Amino acid sequence: MITSPALSQAAAARQWFLAREDLGALVEAIRGTGRRVIGPTVREGAIVYDEIQTAADLPAGWRDVQSAGSYRLERASDERAFGYTVGPTSWKRFTFPPNLPIAKAHKATFGFEQPAPSVPPVAFLGVRACEIAALAIQDRVFLGGQFTDDDFRARRSAAFIVAVQCTTSSSTCFCTSMATGPEVRGGYDILLTEIDGGFVVQAGSPGGAAIVAKLPTRRPSHAEAGAAVDNVESVRTQMGEPLPMAGIGDRLKLQLDNLRWAQVAERCVECGNCTMSCPTCFCTSVIEQSDMDGKSSTTERQWDSCFDVAFAKVAGGDFRARPRDRYRQWLTHKFSTWWDQFGSSGCVGCGRCITWCPVRIDVREELAAIAPPIAPVEHPMAVEPVAASPGTYSIARLASVRPETEDTTTLSLTDLDPAFLEGRPGQFVMIALPAFPAVPISISRFRANAIDLTIRAVGQTSTALVNLHPGAKVGLRGPLGTFWPIQEAYGRHAVVVAGGVGLSPLHGLVDALVANHDRFESVSLFYGSRTPEDQLFRDDLAAWTASKAIDVVVTVDRAGPEWKGRVGVVTNLFDMISWDCTKVTAFVVGPERMMQASVQGLISKGVPTDRIHVSMERHMECGIGLCGHCQMAGRFVCEDGPVFRLNDLGDMFNREGI
Amino acid sequence: MHARAMDDYAAVIAMLNHTWFGAELSPETQERLARLGEIQDFEADEVILHEGDAAKEMGILISGRLALRTLVPERGPVTILSVEPGDIFGWSAVLADTQAQSTVVATESSQALVIEGIQLRAALKEDHALAASLYPRVLKAVARRLRATRLQLLDLFAR
Amino acid sequence: MATSGRTARPRVAVAKFASCDGCQLTILDLEDQLLEIVSRFDIVEFPEATSRRSPGPYDIVFVEGSISAPEHIDQIKELRKQARVLVTIGACATAGGIQALRNWADHDAYRAAIYAHPEWIESLATATPVSEHVKVDAELRGCPIDPGQLLELLTAVLVGRRPQIRDEAVCRECKRKGIVCLVVAGGQACMGPVTTSGCNALCPTYDRGCFGCFGPRAGANAKSWSAELLKSGRPPEEVWGLFAGFTGYAEPFRSVITELGKSKG
Ligand SMILES: Cc1cc2nc3c(=O)[nH]c(=O)nc-3n(C[C@H](O)[C@H](O)[C@H](O)COP(=O)(O)OP(=O)(O)OC[C@H]3O[C@@H](n4cnc5c(N)ncnc54)[C@H](O)[C@@H]3O)c2cc1C
Ligand code: SF4
Ligand code: SF4
Ligand code: SF4
Ligand code: SF4
Ligand code: SF4
Ligand code: FES
Repeated sequence: MITSPALSQAAAARQWFLAREDLGALVEAIRGTGRRVIGPTVREGAIVYDEIQTAADLPAGWRDVQSAGSYRLERASDERAFGYTVGPTSWKRFTFPPNLPIAKAHKATFGFEQPAPSVPPVAFLGVRACEIAALAIQDRVFLGGQFTDDDFRARRSAAFIVAVQCTTSSSTCFCTSMATGPEVRGGYDILLTEIDGGFVVQAGSPGGAAIVAKLPTRRPSHAEAGAAVDNVESVRTQMGEPLPMAGIGDRLKLQLDNLRWAQVAERCVECGNCTMSCPTCFCTSVIEQSDMDGKSSTTERQWDSCFDVAFAKVAGGDFRARPRDRYRQWLTHKFSTWWDQFGSSGCVGCGRCITWCPVRIDVREELAAIAPPIAPVEHPMAVEPVAASPGTYSIARLASVRPETEDTTTLSLTDLDPAFLEGRPGQFVMIALPAFPAVPISISRFRANAIDLTIRAVGQTSTALVNLHPGAKVGLRGPLGTFWPIQEAYGRHAVVVAGGVGLSPLHGLVDALVANHDRFESVSLFYGSRTPEDQLFRDDLAAWTASKAIDVVVTVDRAGPEWKGRVGVVTNLFDMISWDCTKVTAFVVGPERMMQASVQGLISKGVPTDRIHVSMERHMECGIGLCGHCQMAGRFVCEDGPVFRLNDLGDMFNREGI
Repeated sequence: MHARAMDDYAAVIAMLNHTWFGAELSPETQERLARLGEIQDFEADEVILHEGDAAKEMGILISGRLALRTLVPERGPVTILSVEPGDIFGWSAVLADTQAQSTVVATESSQALVIEGIQLRAALKEDHALAASLYPRVLKAVARRLRATRLQLLDLFAR
Repeated sequence: MATSGRTARPRVAVAKFASCDGCQLTILDLEDQLLEIVSRFDIVEFPEATSRRSPGPYDIVFVEGSISAPEHIDQIKELRKQARVLVTIGACATAGGIQALRNWADHDAYRAAIYAHPEWIESLATATPVSEHVKVDAELRGCPIDPGQLLELLTAVLVGRRPQIRDEAVCRECKRKGIVCLVVAGGQACMGPVTTSGCNALCPTYDRGCFGCFGPRAGANAKSWSAELLKSGRPPEEVWGLFAGFTGYAEPFRSVITELGKSKG
């Protein structure tokens, strides 16, 4: 997290008075330290955040009148510079830009350039309490996990924060309900409270104190200091009773089937304006742009939104196909699953999503209708320390190409960063070619100096990959994600259930089970595919069978007369299990429906749900917990998965639209 | 097909006990079935029953593998299910006047206990203990097949 | 979308049906890249730029304009046979365009109003998008099309990948650009929420509500948006006009228009 160096308590409590006509001195003093100043200014009928040259650019005397779907500016009778509340811009525009070039790939040299961020120093003027809370939330998102976002860190560290206490609120504000305001409690370099005639000023950091020292200030009178406190307190009164938010996360989880989701989705036009306006939403996608000469391409990261119809698509399906699934993702993420991911609420109560919704949907009304209050539950505030590095590409060489089926091919990659050879079965890599978006692919096999990726050509990148020739280079990030907990099957019956191309992420596991077979009570592989032609790794299947270390049973859904093997769905094979199923540890991967049928079959045979491990597929853009695409309820499939213990997924395993 | 007269019923009962279908039956029913039927051997590729023929016999597969095939226009014969040891085939012979739903072919050399439909039906009518023991097993076998067909229709691999 | 060979330049043809030529002009407008394009592609049929004609087959055929006359139907079918990749460009070709307005007008009266000798003109009763007649491999939407999207399509063809043309609301581009919403802050009418992106929020950038020229995006909730426009006090004729504008023949705009027409009586 980004915090300013501490100031002694006494110094922090010290107050000054700055007359309104001297506000320009503050802007000048900050600009004098070489910082650009970003602050509120009137443009296009609203108060937006943009570059400020002098105090004259500030919205003195303007008031905003906000309600669901409506924002209007009015002249006030006084000349307050900060007499408005939050507008359409949020500070994330400057810490997390809407469009950001993140890499350039050159075809000839096969280089992936990932530019190091260089950010000139800047000051944010007029940051409100809810906005400071929002910056802290994005700190946890981008800097608090295993992987971090260097660009965000650079922009965030470069910002000097001049906070302003709210002295009025809009009908859309609900910071008191989210416990983020109205008063600013920290996270600033300088704090201003506007009163008649000027500002009560406090410093929050040595840098802030240095600026304050340059201003034409005096000590505030008793009345002035009192007015500052009253002005902030009046906002709390103005906002009225806080909403009953206690336990909202759990309350929402109980309401996933509420009919109201479908009703609100009928109104919602899925414009995504709520997520784009929200100061904490962090989802992005990458797009590739190739130059006409075909020699290089750039990768740009863009703000994305879970309201996008393609947001959760994978080859052959969409995990959130219905508008109600997408609305539910938004609301439950903000108020419920954010807690699971980041230990806090995803909402700070700024009200932007209410004001800027063109069809006037108010999240407060939806929450009240969908998840009315129940007995409060306390949530622990757990923030993990910053660790590790963000994923950077390393180059690998394609050693060989083996077709597996009509549409699936295994690529062997060598000249690898050693980290890949130390990966574990179940993990995946993000693989990129210049000009193509990176895609997640499981490691199907670990060899002495190589890893295998088995890829089904379903779209542009996968098709380009399977068409490569030996010697070609690819960019790799990883290994990423969780792996199969092999030790948990020691002394038990290890059962691997694979469907179709699902054998690929299990191949490395089977290799490990075979190599260590005497540690298990028994080892078996049940492999089903649609037809004999769809089977992967036919040579390996034969070799495993011959090894006698594993029982390999193969079945197909249908076949021509030349097939002499089993025909029937893979769950039929469970009838062969004669052991005590409470002693089974199962590993299951396949297409969604096959996994559901298999898991049901295993449970009905008596396999405990904490002994069933599955690997989930979700749409992934980053693979490192930053882009938001792979969310499944409170989890990021890329970081918390793809391998999950079934009972950890709860009823999320086969719920529609999550 | 090669039929063997089996007067060693104990051997047949032992074979039945090796299958899930047979092992769950009561000893009396096992013996009754062993006496009703005969053990038959089939060679690889031997056709046991043609689609559309009258269903005259029910079998319990002891060893080997059979394929249930059906003719799909423009694709020729397609195997829709394999019969594994312990599975039954020709179960419609339990009912009078029915036709075989698919062609039954041995995919490898196989052995089965085969029972004439007429005899089986007569025995079921008169021996209530046999009926009470056999019908649930047949139902279970049919239910398994239905469940498998439903999953197949869903196309597990469609995603 | 592979090209016909490593050395040969892809052969590109541009064909025109009922339209204003605006989209073809967009191609000519790509001044900076035009030389590069000509050196990378063999442009063999281009009524606006050259009179050179040569027979198919072509690697890419760009089709501009709607299918509005009986002879168009055979022509487009023939073109399809000659084209490896057929790309429709502009609102006319992708959605029927402005001509599609006549789909709701009394045909004879409409024709009489435009032409002095209606009896000479053989025209179809409707102006329809190309995709109603032949398979279309890719679409470039808009009236006119966006030069950036055109470049992306061309470079993607050269690289051999699918063009990255997103289908998101115009609002999303508007928000990324930091434009203050005209609807919320200005009470203007705007089709942004239901219209697909690609223009980089051109109209809102110039303080004008989106006219919907890129057409409906996948799953656009046109019903809710028309209800909201009516609720904010706009007369049904105005809402009708907003949806009918450029791409009214495309669903779900078409249903909204028909519905509004019915309620008008
Ligand atoms: C953890 C994990 C492991 C995987 N392992 C393998 C593997 O071992 N072998 C294999 O063949 N496939 C694997 N996949 C799926 C593979 O990533 C997608 O098929 C691939 O991204 C499609 O990209 P494309 O450019 O070829 O397709 P596109 O042309 O982009 O699109 C085809 C379809 O794929 C979807 N898609 C696009 N990008 C992604 C993405 N980044 N993530 C998921 N879906 C996407 C699209 O929505 C579309 O429906 C894995 C996915 C995950 C999440
Ligand atoms: S969810 Fe709405 S109110 Fe909450 S922080 Fe985001 S924009 Fe503000
Ligand atoms: S998934 Fe969450 S963070 Fe991402 S856009 Fe939706 S609500 Fe915002
Ligand atoms: S702003 Fe309103 S209409 Fe748009 S996506 Fe959000 S809730 Fe839906
Ligand atoms: S101005 Fe139009 S396009 Fe822009 S956000 Fe508002 S409704 Fe959407
Ligand atoms: S804003 Fe709307 S009308 Fe304007 S160019 Fe874009 S899609 Fe067309
Ligand atoms: S958060 Fe980006 S793929 Fe998981």
